[in-house]
Amino acid sequence: MLIVNDVSKIYRTKQRLGWFKSEWQENIAVNNLSFKVEPGQIVGLLGINGAGKTTTIKMCSTLLEPSSGTIFVDGMDIVKNDKKVKSIVNMIAGGERMLYWKLTAKENLRYFGSLYGLKEAELDHRITSLLREVGLDIKSNIPVEQFSKGMKQRLQIARGLINNPKYLFLDEPTLGLDASIAKHLRNYVKELAKEKGKAIILTSHYMKEVEELCDEVLIIDKGSLVMQDKPERLTNLFFKENTLKITVSEIPDSLHTKLNNEISQNKGTWQIQSTDDDEYDLIIKSEKDMTNSIVSLLAYHNLRILNIVSEKPSLEDVILLMSERTSA
Amino acid sequence: MFSVIKATFVRNTIAMYRAYPWSFFLGHILTGVYTVLFAYFTYTYVFKGSLDPRFKIYAGSNDYLSYVILGGALYSFAVSTLMNVSRSLITEYREGTLEGLLISPFSRKGYFIGNVTQQIMRTSLEFIIIVTFGLIFGLDLSKINIFGAILIWVLSIFSFFCQALFLGSIMLYFRDTYISQNTLFFIMSFVSGVTFPVAYLPDWIKPLSYIMPLFPSLTMFRSVVIEGQLISLHINDVIHLLVLSITYLFIGSISIKHMEKRIIEQHY
Ligand SMILES: Nc1ncnc2c1ncn2[C@@H]1O[C@H](COP(=O)(O)OP(=O)(O)OP(=O)(O)O)[C@@H](O)[C@H]1O
Ligand SMILES: [Mg+2]
Repeated sequence: MLIVNDVSKIYRTKQRLGWFKSEWQENIAVNNLSFKVEPGQIVGLLGINGAGKTTTIKMCSTLLEPSSGTIFVDGMDIVKNDKKVKSIVNMIAGGERMLYWKLTAKENLRYFGSLYGLKEAELDHRITSLLREVGLDIKSNIPVEQFSKGMKQRLQIARGLINNPKYLFLDEPTLGLDASIAKHLRNYVKELAKEKGKAIILTSHYMKEVEELCDEVLIIDKGSLVMQDKPERLTNLFFKENTLKITVSEIPDSLHTKLNNEISQNKGTWQIQSTDDDEYDLIIKSEKDMTNSIVSLLAYHNLRILNIVSEKPSLEDVILLMSERTSA
Repeated sequence: MFSVIKATFVRNTIAMYRAYPWSFFLGHILTGVYTVLFAYFTYTYVFKGSLDPRFKIYAGSNDYLSYVILGGALYSFAVSTLMNVSRSLITEYREGTLEGLLISPFSRKGYFIGNVTQQIMRTSLEFIIIVTFGLIFGLDLSKINIFGAILIWVLSIFSFFCQALFLGSIMLYFRDTYISQNTLFFIMSFVSGVTFPVAYLPDWIKPLSYIMPLFPSLTMFRSVVIEGQLISLHINDVIHLLVLSITYLFIGSISIKHMEKRIIEQHY
């Protein structure tokens, strides 16, 4: 289990004031953060730019030392037992770093694997299967500098798995990947957690990804934890409403009372907007999903339904709302 | 540790074949060759072969050309070793691979030893080329004590290696390679007895000589190669070299770890 206990990170940076004058500035990137991740669990870290996600991930992966607080991995303190912790954690960041461009895919993995003291035979086996997994097996002998961005990113993912880590930290892993590869990666990440029992922390700016993968989501803002819950529960917390939009060619006045009764019974609100095509949009907001009852009501009155859109609030809306609140 | 030595050795060899800036190689040879030529021409045409009588006393030999040629060759060897090892981490940083390295439980000893053994092939080749060139211009190897020369050679590599760790952490601190290395190399060439005995220097500069491993290393190397002396005559120099090596190793390995952390914190 990964236990982050009351962790803060303060960056100190020198601010130039003049030729010979400078002053230290402190920037609290992570502020008294606590959470846990269990084996097999995928935890999402969400927050706007600069919220402290990368800093948190770098601390968990031993690259940065917390300014205060403790992080334990399988009962080991990551500062005091850093060598042991390093052998069971790894991190994958989006982008093209952490690879030797002059070396081929295979040579890169071989080198990183040796840093973990893996035996030749085991390493060979792992390299072959990882390269196949990320779809680079046919490109394995080409220097990385000739790779496309997506190929580098996939190799980066293989690098992050070279020590078969029990704890995996993913910082925007699908950045710059095309849709099909990103989807493949998502399935793979899910498999790593659910079948291989890895504990995973994921940050991403693609909310769909977080909603699809994460068992739990932490929302952080200015380094502090604001919310922690299952993704679907979080959206419910912020937005209680479903939006239903039904397009029809006409709405006779006689129907208004019936609609009003039906919707107010469900504590909803409604309005009618006419569209450019001389049609009408009936927009209903309500806590309960009212698609069925409204559609049958319209059908009963022989109205032709041209289109139906039912919108559930997404995590994206939650984040947007949050950032509006903090900037306000 | 051994697997890291081997892996780093292999990695650097591959990278060298694919992308080594061969101008570095040529540059190092030329540094040595220029020293030889400069000495040869000033000695032959400016001093017309007449040597300051103090030289024999200070240098322990009359053979100025051999003195300078060995000085130039060992100096450029020291410079190559220092450069290759000290730049290794900052190069990882610049190429974006430092985090990949630091996130693993890699053996630092293994990493640096892998780096230094790999580059010894190349720097030794440079050294041999300079010495061969020196033979044309009057280097006299007739009395050489081969066994002693090899032993001092090995000790010197170790000491340059230790000094390189220290230089490497200075580079990480200033995030600069050019100024740090060239300042050091300039001072080294002036105070370590490369082209003239240290005894000529004013007293206030001499402390600098004593902290340069190249100084005792050159003293011993010359007496063993030119005069064919036994190492047992130079126990003091051996101790001097070892004390410097261990001091640099100690300071270097502590400060480099510190600098690694600092550079990761400050850069994002
Ligand atoms: N090395 C550093 N030195 C000083 N300040 C830093 C450093 N790294 C990050 N910060 C600051 O710490 C805060 C958190 O940064 P962090 O990179 O963790 O955010 P993030 O949530 O990952 O953002 P993004 O979504 O943009 O990746 C920001 O205010 C950032 O400016
Ligand atoms: Mg980030």
